[in-house]
This record gives sequence, structure tokens and C-alpha cells, in this order.
Amino acid sequence: MSDKAQVNLTGVKQSKGVWLVKVPKYLSEQWDKAPEKGEVGKITIGKKLGKTEVSFSLDAELTARGGVGENDASTQVPREHPFTMHTAGGQTLAVFSQGDGDEIRLEGMVVHRAECRPVVNDDYMRLKKLQLKESTKPQRLSQQLERAVTTIFKPRADHDFNLEHDKKKKTDGKMVRAERQVVLDMLFSAFEKHQYYNIKDLVDITKQPVTYLKEIIREIGVYNSKGTHKSTWELKPEYRHYRSAEEEEEMQTA
Amino acid sequence: MTSLGSSSSSSSTEYTVRVPKNNSKKYNLMAFNSGDKVNCSTWTQARMERDMSARRIYGEEEAAEGAAGSEFGKKQREESRRKKYGIVTREFKVEDQPWILKVNGKAGKRFKGIKKGGVTENASYYIFTQCPDGAFEAFPVHGWYNFTPQAKHRTLTAEEAEEEWGRRNKVVNHFSIMLQRRFREQERGGEDDDDENDKSGKKKKKGGRKGGDLRIHDLEEDLEMSSDDSDSSVGDDGEAKTKGKKDSGKGKAKKKKRKSSDKDALEDSDDGDYEGLEVDYMSDESSSDEEPEKAKQSKGEDHPKGIDEASESEEESEEEKPNEEETKEEEEEEEGKKTPVQTEKKKKKDSSGESETSDDSDIDGETASALFMKKRTPPKRGGRGSAGSSRTGSRPGTPSIDSASTSSTLRAAASKLEQGKRPTAGPSTDSPAAKRLKMEPSSQSPAPSGKTTPQPPSGKSTPSSSDVQLTEEAVRRYLIRKPMTTKDLLKKFQTKRTGLSSEQTVNVLAQILKRLNPERKNVNDKMHFYLTE
Repeated sequence: MSDKAQVNLTGVKQSKGVWLVKVPKYLSEQWDKAPEKGEVGKITIGKKLGKTEVSFSLDAELTARGGVGENDASTQVPREHPFTMHTAGGQTLAVFSQGDGDEIRLEGMVVHRAECRPVVNDDYMRLKKLQLKESTKPQRLSQQLERAVTTIFKPRADHDFNLEHDKKKKTDGKMVRAERQVVLDMLFSAFEKHQYYNIKDLVDITKQPVTYLKEIIREIGVYNSKGTHKSTWELKPEYRHYRSAEEEEEMQTA
Repeated sequence: MTSLGSSSSSSSTEYTVRVPKNNSKKYNLMAFNSGDKVNCSTWTQARMERDMSARRIYGEEEAAEGAAGSEFGKKQREESRRKKYGIVTREFKVEDQPWILKVNGKAGKRFKGIKKGGVTENASYYIFTQCPDGAFEAFPVHGWYNFTPQAKHRTLTAEEAEEEWGRRNKVVNHFSIMLQRRFREQERGGEDDDDENDKSGKKKKKGGRKGGDLRIHDLEEDLEMSSDDSDSSVGDDGEAKTKGKKDSGKGKAKKKKRKSSDKDALEDSDDGDYEGLEVDYMSDESSSDEEPEKAKQSKGEDHPKGIDEASESEEESEEEKPNEEETKEEEEEEEGKKTPVQTEKKKKKDSSGESETSDDSDIDGETASALFMKKRTPPKRGGRGSAGSSRTGSRPGTPSIDSASTSSTLRAAASKLEQGKRPTAGPSTDSPAAKRLKMEPSSQSPAPSGKTTPQPPSGKSTPSSSDVQLTEEAVRRYLIRKPMTTKDLLKKFQTKRTGLSSEQTVNVLAQILKRLNPERKNVNDKMHFYLTE
């Protein structure tokens, strides 16, 4: 899980120069909808009057915001996006990639930074309006409930839950003392799972009356009154043969 | 898939942009600061791993799950407990942990890359790479990490840095800071011998580096005096050990520092040692560099101390005095000690010309005469003042002490002076009544009989003025000496000293005056009595 790797420096060695382009969110969303091949548009690099101009134009299919294939005129994403280019500037930016198998590769150095800007036209304005509307909607709404909430406890003489509980207890009856050996087996299997147990939990597991259970456990176990595992029962050392976690793992893998 | 399209004035080429879908690789950015001058192409090898040191803090230490060491239902209990108390523990996300980048093996550089937040929130970054076929491929950037180089050399901790910052104006030798720190660390770790060896070894290695245990201190840091001394001594040892070439300038500076530290150590106890120096005012120059410093410092110390001790002594002598007067008094005192007669003579002389009533004040520990004195030659005072003060360790303190010893002789002289003085100085406006009064009581004891002759210590002149009797004889004496108002007379016979209550004193005094029937004179609109013999 921890990524430790020798960094593959091939990219840098080849002095691959890359561009870092900042793209608006809506555009990247559209790109996510691109077909399998991955083509999203075309980039035009031209020299106009000495200046380098880069522009990106989105594929027509991707302009629809609703989904691929829809042609909803109202939510059209603008197509033309000129890039504003800067050089790398003060920072030295490098790109590294993390592969699946903890492989880290240094892909290259950033030579140019660009920002993908939309052309401000009506389409764009419409888009922005929609975005704003969405963002101003509150995330939490108030709903009116059809039925009243019934989980609140009204004061009663005796709650339903309590009554049921008592009835259950009566019908189930008192816990019957099972055979000593049976109980011991149950205890041992329980202690195999965990080392420390509360007496209440043991009662729950074994379904034995407390006094009887205590008798039995006093034979095989010891009570922890202090320390981290307070007021818990654990097996006596001679009965214990826990394996540490690593050993268990080894056993499992073997 | 390049296609040409161009207008006449521009040439442009088109490239397709692809956003690959099946991306198993996650692209991240590694940002370095330009100041670090990182050139990735120079790297021969690099290792990168996550910095998991935060896991101890964040991750809950899970007890063994199942079998050994675990409790039944522990997890649930812990969870319910956390919910009850509203403890929200932030998950330890491996993704967000910083990177540690090691370049060129163990000896190379180390970088720490911390994730920059908020990069992917409002805009997405893409990496455009050009493929061999001319098309661009855009990969989204998953995360942005700012890599900073990690210092391999030792640095100061925050507390140490704060300390050093406070001393930045005083410490000249900055190399010593780290040296000291290393030394301290070694002390904690190893034995002394090792430390010494290491220390000396390091010093030799460093050559010109100074044994950095010297510290310069200002007057304000009196508290650290002891530590300074020890440090300076250690520093001296270090210096001795250092064999490297010493910058002469630095050496000098060090010597001065040492001296100053020594000076600091001395100043505490021997405050008055330098008072006797010729340096009276700051402008004085002396041959060596030290003296002015010392003098300056001593002076500087003197003044605050002087005032303090002055107040102390004043309590003793039941008076308040400005320092100047003290000096004058002391000077007088000193002389008085040596040659009482001479003093008296001088005083006599002075009395004619100047206000040597400083003696009075000396003796009495009172400044009444000081008032008279003030008007007289200050420079002369100053000249002798320092001399006088030099004799006395703490100026204010001495008068009272000295006065006791010399009082017998001085009192006589003082009283003589008084006689001479009073008519001339008379009601000196400067003097608050208290001062004059205080002068008087002391002059009671040395009851001078005659005006002109300075009374030799006789039975009459008793140093202690506690046994003052309100007798006709005493009143007569006073009135002969000088014209006094009733108030003055009353003050002479203080209830403390006579043992009478104020009413009684008034009555008795009135009777005595009736009997004596002194002559009256109006001075300053006040009725003065006096007698002539």
C-alpha cells in the first residue's frame, strides 16, 4: 500500500517537454464524456503577426451538455477556446505518474503553462447563468412530512418495549444450568476468539446463570481488576496458548 | 492527423487532442522552487516514498484483533464511546501523505513533497504531451505536490532560535552558536572526556572558528552573571585549545568581550572601585580602552544604585538627599576623618567664603546646609566629589556611618559653622523647613558655648541627641546663637527627645521664654527671639 519505488527517470532523460493546461470545469466535464477513442477536439497552433496563437476547438459532438447525442440548443458549451500561454515561470515543474504497481515514473518537465479560456459570447453567458442557478440552490431543503414522527417517546406508565422485554423473559424462562463440561467447552471456544471477556458478555454467550458461570470460570480463568483490560476475565496462563498475530498469518498463508 | 490550414499572414497547424480513457496511471505534478535550482536531468537515480510518520498520530493503535490481546466487543465499545463524546477522527489517507524524494542515493539531496490542496476544486489541470503521431494527449492532473529540499545540516529548534534571536545584537560570532549546541548535545550524550576531545577536535578542525562560549552581556543581564562567568571561563579554555589561526580583529573583539564579561562579574560587588577614577564626566579620555568603559559602566551603575542606597541611608539618617550633596558631604567627611583639625580650619575658611555646611549635613546626615551649598561652587564639589565618593563604597550609605565616628569633632565644627552661617544664609528659600530643623537637633548636642571658638569635643557635645532637656539653659543657648522663632524652638525640643508631650513642651517653653525675656526681632515677617551676652 505504501508507495515506495525507484523513480523511473526515462521521461526526464529524454527531456520531454509537456504543457500544463488549466481547463475550466465544464470543459473537463465534457471531455469526460468523450467516446472511446478519446478525441475531444482539435488544437490549432498558429503564428499570427509574430505571436504564437494556440486555440482549441471542441468537437461538435461534445458541445451538448445534457449528454452525448442530445442536441439541446440551450445548453451548448462553447466550442472555441483560445489558450493563453506562459513559460514555466519561477517554478520548476515536473510531472510524475503513479502506476498501478507502485511504479513511479517521471514523465517530463513542464515547458509551457496554458490557460484554456472561453470566448465570451451569448452561448457562454447562458451557460454561466445556468451554472449560477445551480450553485445558488441550497443544498438542504425543507420537506413537509406526511406522517408525524413516531419515534419520540411520549411519557407512559410503562413503555411497550419494556413490557415486551418482560414478557420475553418470562417465556424464555430462567437460564438453565447446562452440564459443566458443556459450559467449559463453550468458554474455551469463546476464549479462542478473544482473550478478554466481560462477565456479562460471557453470560450472554453461554446463557448460564451468573453464579454458576462464575464458579466454572473461576476454575479456568483469572479476573483482571487493574490494567488496560479492566474487569475482564481471561484464561489462566496454563490454559492459554495463543499464537501471535504474525504466526497466525504465516499459518494461514502456508 | 495534422492538417494544414493557414491564412496568408499566419501559419498554423492543427493537432488533435485526445483524452485517453483507460488511464491506469495517475498523473501528479512535482513543483520545485526556482531558487533551489533543481535540474531533473542531472539526477542519476531517485527514490520516492510516502512519508508515513503521521500515521502514528492519526491512526488508532489497533490492539490485536482476534485471539491474543483482544477484548470481546472492544471495537463496538470504542466506536460508541467516540460517538458519545463527539470525537471525529480524521482518517489517515495515504493519498494525502507527503512524499519523500531522495535523489542520487544516500549522499544526495532529499526533498519533501507536500500536497497542495484545492487544486482540483474549481478547475482541472491537464498535461498535454505530444505523441509521436503529432496529436496531443491530455491527462488530468491528480494532485500537486510542492517539493522543498530538506536540510541535512543541523538546525536550531524553535526555542533555541528564539533565544538566539534575542541575543542577535550582542553575539558577533555566529559560528559559535551551532558549535555550542553541538557541545551541549554531546554533553547530554557522552562523557565529559569525550566531549572535551570532541570539542577540541572540532575546534581544531574548524580552525578559525572561535570557542564559542563567550557571551557578551549588557548591564541589564546581571541575572545571568554566574552562568556568564562559567561560560566565559569555558570559552577561555576553548580558546586556549584552539590552535587555528585567529583573526586578529576577532581576537581583539574577543578580548574585549572577555573583559566586558569580567567587568560585568566585578561590577556586582565592587561598585565603588572605579569611582575614584579621574573620569568624572563622560568626556574624559584615558589611555587604555578599558577605563572609560569601566568608568562609564560604573557611573552608569552608580547612579541608579546611588539613588537606591541614598534612599536607604536617608531612612537611616531620617533624611532625603540628592546625590550631589552626598558627594560633597562625603568629601568633607573624608577630609574630616583624616584631619579633624584641618577640616575644621578648612571649614572655617569655607564658612567665610563658601558653604561648607556640607559638613553639617554630613554630620547630621542632613541636607539643610546642602541648601546653602547648592548655591556655591559646583565644579569644586565635583572635583572633590568623586574623590570623596571613591573613598566611600556607596556614597549615600557612608554619611551616616562616618558621621557617627567623626561626629564629635565635626559637630563642633558644624555648630561653629552654623553660627557663622545662619545669619548669612538665614532663611534659605531652598530649604524646606524640615531640613533645617533636622540640622538643628543634631547641633543641640554639641552645645557650643561661644560663637567664635569651635568647640572641642566636650562633655557637652554628645553624639547622641536623645537626652535633650527642655531647660532654660538650652533655650538660652539657642537664642544666643541665633534668632529663632517659637516654632523653631519647639522643633528643637522634639517630643521624641524630651519625653514630654507637645502640650507640656509648649507650656514649659512659654515659661522659659518669659523668664528669659529675650529680645525680639522681626525677620521675614516672623517674630524671632534672640539673646545677647
